[in-house]
Amino acid sequence: MAAATLRRLPALGGRALGAGGRQGTGRPGSWLHSVAGGPGHTPRLEDWQRCGAVCLQRAATLSREKNPMESAFAQLLEQVELEKSLYSDHELQVFEDEEKIRWRQAEDYDSEEEEDVGQDIVTAQDLEDMWEQKLRQFRAADREQEADKKDDRSTLNRRLDEKLTLLVKEKVGDEEIWLLPQSEWKPGETMRQTAERTLSALSGRNELQAAFLGNAPAGFYKYKYPKAMRTSDTLGAKVFFFKALLVNGDLKARRKGDYVWVTKSELKDYLKPKYLRQVNRFIFDTAAMYP
Amino acid sequence: MSWIVRPVIGLIPRSVWNASVRYCHWRMSLLALRESLPMRAEPKKKKKVDPRREQAVRDRLRKRLKKLERVPPELIPIEDFITRTKFLDESRVRDPPKLPVEETERRALLMKEWSRYKQKEHEKEAEMIQSMIEAQQQALQELRLESEELYQAAIKRDQGLFPLELQGCSFTPPIANYEAPDGKYRDITKVYTQ
Repeated sequence: MAAATLRRLPALGGRALGAGGRQGTGRPGSWLHSVAGGPGHTPRLEDWQRCGAVCLQRAATLSREKNPMESAFAQLLEQVELEKSLYSDHELQVFEDEEKIRWRQAEDYDSEEEEDVGQDIVTAQDLEDMWEQKLRQFRAADREQEADKKDDRSTLNRRLDEKLTLLVKEKVGDEEIWLLPQSEWKPGETMRQTAERTLSALSGRNELQAAFLGNAPAGFYKYKYPKAMRTSDTLGAKVFFFKALLVNGDLKARRKGDYVWVTKSELKDYLKPKYLRQVNRFIFDTAAMYP
Repeated sequence: MSWIVRPVIGLIPRSVWNASVRYCHWRMSLLALRESLPMRAEPKKKKKVDPRREQAVRDRLRKRLKKLERVPPELIPIEDFITRTKFLDESRVRDPPKLPVEETERRALLMKEWSRYKQKEHEKEAEMIQSMIEAQQQALQELRLESEELYQAAIKRDQGLFPLELQGCSFTPPIANYEAPDGKYRDITKVYTQ
């Protein structure tokens, strides 16, 4: 689908790009590349470091609770369904039992006339009461986990009703910033392989098993290095995000404070604004969609 | 004369034979003896029409079998579409509820609100999908500007993606250290074969 849509886009004119031809023509501060600059423009071979990042998500294990609108409508549907239904065997049995009791308590009741006395030891109403009691005895596990009460974001066992994304704290330049785990591209591998390498570098052998969702990147972010880090070649980095679903395992090899599992609404507590804006384009969860 | 009736007449010597014929005046000829007894040791005379007739009979039977087999297989009944006769009983019909005007009003308004809610939900979902598609398109565009071969690798189909098995959601998490009670069940589903 991605390929089909790209064919419909106007042809990206300008320089022919062969393998290894990396000619960026970005003006400083511009978002998208401007192609084929003016006549006096001398093309500078600016290198942008390519990085592959992985957006690792743990899917929700619990379904979300109904919001007021949904519960009101569900209740209405149940009422209508009951009104339009037929009596079930159990309900008919309840009516029969009531009839019998009424008949027995009538004045002209003759106990000798009654047939099959032994058959109504357990009435349908008794059965109903027994079932009700059994239901009340059952205790389901809590939806809210301990980590939710303490607001401990570094564990996977929190917010089971939401999709959680992994964020790590890395040192870029002087400062430590929160971002999606990324690593530099090495020649000879595809971008997806870079992302897979990032994932395995996070956790060691076989700790985190994930299913990558396709070969195409889900998002893109471009940033310039702070002046101190800029060399003559590299101006900044271009990050390509790849989505992956967590299948098994947990992050244990890292230090406790270095990583968090967060929902979409909590991303803003960690990520820088521009980064957040790009990441929000492809990360969604149920709370964001169905308030 | 009982020894004459035995079928091993070929082993009887001539002298004995002639003697017996002279005394059996009711026997017309020598050969009549052989005809009167049921000779089971001798092979029956084969009629040439027999094998052809038998074959014809067999062919007719085979044709009849084929005709019977050509009948299309009986369709497996869908049990959900068959109304059981016990549910057509009149005693099962519920009395229609007597709803006050406010209740019917409330229901009508709730249905309308629901349709508005669902429409908004659909719009949000469409927006989400559109946003994801745009982000991906831009990423692919940038990747293409970077390097054509990386782009070509990115737009290839991922053959290892499907079949993808994911676990669905429940409303409450599993109970820790839960011991399910032992039990037996009898599976009474009807299995149809064609």
